[in-house]
Amino acid sequence: MHGKKSAPDFLLMIITFSLLAIGLIMVYSASAIWADYKFHDSFFFAKRQLLFAGIGIVAMFFFMNIDYWTWRTWAKVLLIVCFILLVLVLIPGIGMVRNGSRSWIGIGAFSIQPSEFMKMAMIAFLAKYLSENQKKIASFKQGLLPSLTLVFIAFGMIMLQPDLGTGTVMVGTCVVMIFVAGARMSHFLVLGLLGLAGFAGLVLSAPYRIKRITSFLNPWEDPLGSGFQIIQSLYAIGPGGLFGLGLGQSRQKFFYLPEPQTDFIFAILAEELGFIGGSLVLLLFSLLLWRGIRIALGAPDLYGSFLAVGIIAMVAIQVMINIGVVTGLMPVTGITLPFLSYGGSSLTLMLMAIGVLLNISRYARY
Amino acid sequence: MRAVTVRKRLTAVLLIGFFIFAIIDIRLGYVQFVLGDMLTERAKDLWSRNIPFEPERGEIVDRNGVPLATNMSAPSVLVVPRQIENPSEVAKELARILHMPVEKAYKHVTKKTSIERIHPEGRKISNEQAKQIRDLGMKGVYIAEDSKRYYPFGSYLSHVLGFAGIDNQGLMGLELYYDKQLSGKPGSVQFYSDAKGKRMPGMADAYTPPVDGLDLKLTIDTRVQTILERELTIAEATYRPDGIIAIAMNPNNGEILGMASRPTFDPADFQNVPPEIFNRNLPIWSTYEPGSTFKIITLAAALEEKKVDLLKEHFYDPGYVKVAGATLHCWKRGGHGDQTFLEVVQNSCNPGFVELGDRLGKEKLFEYIRAFGFGEKTGIDLQGEGKGILFPLHRVGPVEQATTAFGQGVAVTPIQQVAAVAAAVNGGILYQPYIAKEWLDPVTGEVIQRQTPKAKRRVISEETSKQIRYALESVVAQGTGKGAFVDGYRVGGKTGTAQKAKDGQYLKDNHIVSFIGFAPADDPQIVVYVAVDNPRGTVQFGGVVAAPIVGNIMEDSLRALGVKPRKQQIEKETTWLDPRYVEVPNLIGLTKKDLQQQLFHLKLDGSGEGDTVVEQAPKPGAKVKEGATIRVYFGTKR
Repeated sequence: MHGKKSAPDFLLMIITFSLLAIGLIMVYSASAIWADYKFHDSFFFAKRQLLFAGIGIVAMFFFMNIDYWTWRTWAKVLLIVCFILLVLVLIPGIGMVRNGSRSWIGIGAFSIQPSEFMKMAMIAFLAKYLSENQKKIASFKQGLLPSLTLVFIAFGMIMLQPDLGTGTVMVGTCVVMIFVAGARMSHFLVLGLLGLAGFAGLVLSAPYRIKRITSFLNPWEDPLGSGFQIIQSLYAIGPGGLFGLGLGQSRQKFFYLPEPQTDFIFAILAEELGFIGGSLVLLLFSLLLWRGIRIALGAPDLYGSFLAVGIIAMVAIQVMINIGVVTGLMPVTGITLPFLSYGGSSLTLMLMAIGVLLNISRYARY
Repeated sequence: MRAVTVRKRLTAVLLIGFFIFAIIDIRLGYVQFVLGDMLTERAKDLWSRNIPFEPERGEIVDRNGVPLATNMSAPSVLVVPRQIENPSEVAKELARILHMPVEKAYKHVTKKTSIERIHPEGRKISNEQAKQIRDLGMKGVYIAEDSKRYYPFGSYLSHVLGFAGIDNQGLMGLELYYDKQLSGKPGSVQFYSDAKGKRMPGMADAYTPPVDGLDLKLTIDTRVQTILERELTIAEATYRPDGIIAIAMNPNNGEILGMASRPTFDPADFQNVPPEIFNRNLPIWSTYEPGSTFKIITLAAALEEKKVDLLKEHFYDPGYVKVAGATLHCWKRGGHGDQTFLEVVQNSCNPGFVELGDRLGKEKLFEYIRAFGFGEKTGIDLQGEGKGILFPLHRVGPVEQATTAFGQGVAVTPIQQVAAVAAAVNGGILYQPYIAKEWLDPVTGEVIQRQTPKAKRRVISEETSKQIRYALESVVAQGTGKGAFVDGYRVGGKTGTAQKAKDGQYLKDNHIVSFIGFAPADDPQIVVYVAVDNPRGTVQFGGVVAAPIVGNIMEDSLRALGVKPRKQQIEKETTWLDPRYVEVPNLIGLTKKDLQQQLFHLKLDGSGEGDTVVEQAPKPGAKVKEGATIRVYFGTKR
């Protein structure tokens, strides 16, 4: 009933593996000093990242072979489970605090971020909802409002942790999906203004966010406080120049840039591999975006299109926000760079999402 | 139809995505290429740590290499707060050894900085304290080699040398005047470190070696300086004056051989001395009426302009002179009567000099005063030189001209007088006095820069200078300056007694008594000026107080400098007060019988077996006081 399965999009797979390889090398390079200092093992993070990549690749192939309609069936259940997890994570004792946010559930290395899963579940559910109610989406009351209400309830719960990064990516992804589904431009305009107002309100409600906002414009106003990370990031990128200092030659990874293997790994990459290396990574992500959109265009049904665009939008938005932050274009939000940043759950989830995308590509007709 | 919208919007998403990626890439390029240099500079500042290397301050030595200001090892304590494991324990120990409050020490050791100095308690500590700290072996506490200025002679030449502060920076005197050359340039080791203070691998250290300060060799001769200091100490004890000034200079090139003053201070203890004492180097700072020593200038001008013949012309001094209705008295009540002009000089007769001033006229007189360097700084290489005060020419009336001619109504500095008198007796050339002779490389001792004498101008002719020397030698031998007479050394000079003025009024019984002398008169090697401010328990006359001091300084200094006594001199005119000097006759070869037949004004003290004198002390030809004892040694005639 779904047409014949064909080979998955190999280019997408190659791009993904390329990014993954670059990521592994950079995680090692960026973390070696820090790992040696903290764990007396310069491979500490690299080894783990390799393990996560292995798990992620297995997951990717696994999901590549699960028909994506399965997610339409389970979307509602997944969403409900994720909502429950989002509530549970807020309860002290169950949810763990890391870096000032109560975002984690679980024990030690086996802990997960419910907001990450919510992001995925929301994409699956919204793809289902939009494909089933696509005719209503032009209507504000019947199409747009219900879907947006759902998204913002989830966003609100994520912001209780708070996890502005993941929340922003999720909202951005959902807006792209709703846009693709055919929502009216006039509605977007109104919602855009409302969103701006809402964002302003959010910022004003927590003064530390104002500082974050202003500090990215001139990080030297508070070089040891809110501007610290941006300055350290720019000190890495700036000296990189065209060709970079050479692989492994970063200076900022010597404890100047905190945890250089995570959110700010792109800064170390730009320091060691220069503008050429940074541009290459951006090119790979552009190609990834192109393959993703191409799959969305070729998907056999609306659900597949929406699911594909949701997944690729999520990846692209996360890249844009991450590199935007690292290069000082945006305020610091605390978000990983897909495939490159160190982190098990982030990497595994990303590869799982690519697996789903690859599955859609197997049914695509271009 | 719906599908068309979806396709269009997907394409739009793709293009928007590409657009945003492009913007991010442009931003990346902007950061790396446009902001790159600025960011690299700032990042280098962040990564680099400078460990300063202090240069050694140059030493100051006298003309013969005797050290006058040197350096002494004085370690300093540095702490690296991040490396300290137990701050409260470390603070307690440091507080105990450095004698400081524990809370203060604690503040230092916990300060959020990479390197912290314990200031001032931990600066320039003793080697003993440094050893105690080192022995404790506390992590993060370092002893840095440092040095402290050391003045081996204490309060000796202190106004000239000045002193250096805790950072070895010159604060006063030569230490300040030549601070740049003496201090050298600090060096450093710049290394790149990680954020935890450890050395970053793969980045070369940049070592900039410190450049030690140059050693300064002075024109000062410690042998002369020691004599000055000694005489001033004695005079201070004898007269309890408000102050004393002494300068010794080589008249032939302007080299200062010695300079001393009282009250003085120890440079190591300047904090406990009132600032007005160490701030004022009196020999170049104080400005006062010179009194009669200034008559040398009037004399020089009159001789150069051929307005007087010292030997042939006579002058009658009734004890006063009337100038424009005002009566100016001679210092001697009743006057000196009829005298040659040479006697006018010998007697320091005021009306006689008023006459000379009158013959010159105010224009000429002031022309010479300025030519001799008064009214402007001499330019000596010391801090805080005074300029003196001269009447502006348009305000000089007959009275001002008259008083100026004998040294009143002008204000000059001691160094101006020394330079001017040196010009008057050295053949007529005015030299700029100076004190820094040579700059030496601190390692090789090679001369890097040598100060050559700076002749400013010819003021008078050789012939005039010779006449002045003769006249001034006669002042010492036969006139008011007898106290400065040194047998064989042909001292010439002039006394001075000036009233001190305060708030436009002359003070009563409060004089600055002075004497300026030079020797030997045939070829002057040294000019010595001594001024005693308000001596107590004595007649306040320059000839009584200052002249003998100059005499003592002359005698010992000339001997120290290796100047040979002269055969020919103007013999001293004796008064009943003076002891008579007789020449020791040659007694060698005389028998006891011969001795008995001779009539001596001397006592004999014989020893030894025999009948004939084989040795005597003092030697024949030496001069001794009348009635002095001659030791003779008898032996058998060969």
